[in-house]
Amino acid sequence: MFDFVVRNFGFLKHVPLLPHIFDSMLKLCTFVFKRHLLDAFDRIEGEVLSWKGATISIHKYGGMQFNVHKKEIGHLHSNGLLDVLYSRKIKKMMMEEGRISNHHLFKKSGWISFYIVRPEDEAYAIKLLMLSYSRKVIRLQPKA
Amino acid sequence: MDKKIYEFEIMKGFILSNVFAFSIIGITRFLKPDPGVLVYAEFVIVPLLMGIICAWCWKGLEIKRIQLTFFSCINGTLAIFLSAVFLKEGIICLLIVSPLIFAFIITGVFIGRAMFKKSNQNLNVSVVSLLFILFFVDSVSKHQYENLVSDVIIVNAPPKEVWKHVVAFDRIEKKENFWLFKMGMPSPVAARVDGYYEGAGRKCIFSNGYIFDEKMVSYKPNQDLTFDIVKQPRDPEIMGHIDILRGQFILKDNGNGTTTLTGNSWYRLYVFPVWYYDLWAKSITRNVHLRVMDHIKFLSEKR
Repeated sequence: MFDFVVRNFGFLKHVPLLPHIFDSMLKLCTFVFKRHLLDAFDRIEGEVLSWKGATISIHKYGGMQFNVHKKEIGHLHSNGLLDVLYSRKIKKMMMEEGRISNHHLFKKSGWISFYIVRPEDEAYAIKLLMLSYSRKVIRLQPKA
Repeated sequence: MDKKIYEFEIMKGFILSNVFAFSIIGITRFLKPDPGVLVYAEFVIVPLLMGIICAWCWKGLEIKRIQLTFFSCINGTLAIFLSAVFLKEGIICLLIVSPLIFAFIITGVFIGRAMFKKSNQNLNVSVVSLLFILFFVDSVSKHQYENLVSDVIIVNAPPKEVWKHVVAFDRIEKKENFWLFKMGMPSPVAARVDGYYEGAGRKCIFSNGYIFDEKMVSYKPNQDLTFDIVKQPRDPEIMGHIDILRGQFILKDNGNGTTTLTGNSWYRLYVFPVWYYDLWAKSITRNVHLRVMDHIKFLSEKR
């Protein structure tokens, strides 16, 4: 459903509020069919917020955005699709673990996608975000 | 947190948001150029603000996502129920509007949650003010939208045979297959005429006894029947929100014993946003067409 809408109606993402409405519909579906995921999202949010300099905001195309010092490290759509940003080199390395895939839209970029489906996926999602966070923190640190 | 305080804050969110919504809808009845029109602001901005009001009431409670979504659904259901009571809306009408209400309330709650977590007063005031300005501008603006729905079928009978069943037809006995008709939305069952000439009256009778009074403005046997709707029922179910203005059947002889039958309907919407309600209007009008046209086809092809 998500892939169908993104593939066929993705051009509508620039209409103000529309991606957020779509994300709310995803949230409603998740609430009805995969309720446990909403609790997992809370725990992921809580964990990320415990990291120094990390903040949460609303992603411009719907969902929850994770930032470190106002720079995005990833975002989570309300159907459990986590998109995280790496360098292409790190992405290639991570892809070898076999649990992540190319970003659902930007396949050749450093973005990756990971679907949170099962309870054990929550820890892996946090691991993915932590890796991106660590790299961003190192990059943002003033050079001596 | 004390359970009683928690419950009180939750209830406060429900009550304040609904009081706000129905007060503002009541006030805008006096502002709008046409009080019968329900505008974009009432279906989009009001539920969004309702969600933000809830988020404001619930900001200190640290509510989990699952509960926040659940409470948003409860609030949406409450708003829909109150619409039935105070705005006298019908069940099908409320069913159509409910996805908008739920989606915008949930969006409002989560936008509000993010807004109040940041505690940026300037941003919060700007967002809410912008929504109010949009609401006011949309409420005082003139809204008018008319559209045409056209459907075509091939009938395996010559135009002369088809024409006999176009002007007036006996009761449709076929079971409903459109889900809204099955749920109780009135569907066309028969058409009667006062006479077979231009200017004669025609009556389209619906399943619940509703009658659309029509006047035939073009009567060209075996070619064209066009009629204006001169009187239509006012009903909380859809009928107050859409007016059918004109209907038309065009018959084209295909030269091989078959006829191309085109059904056209012109309608005016009284509910906005168009991008949402026109989808429903087209679908409903199309299914009214197809029910009648399939019946005409059945009668014409019956030997």
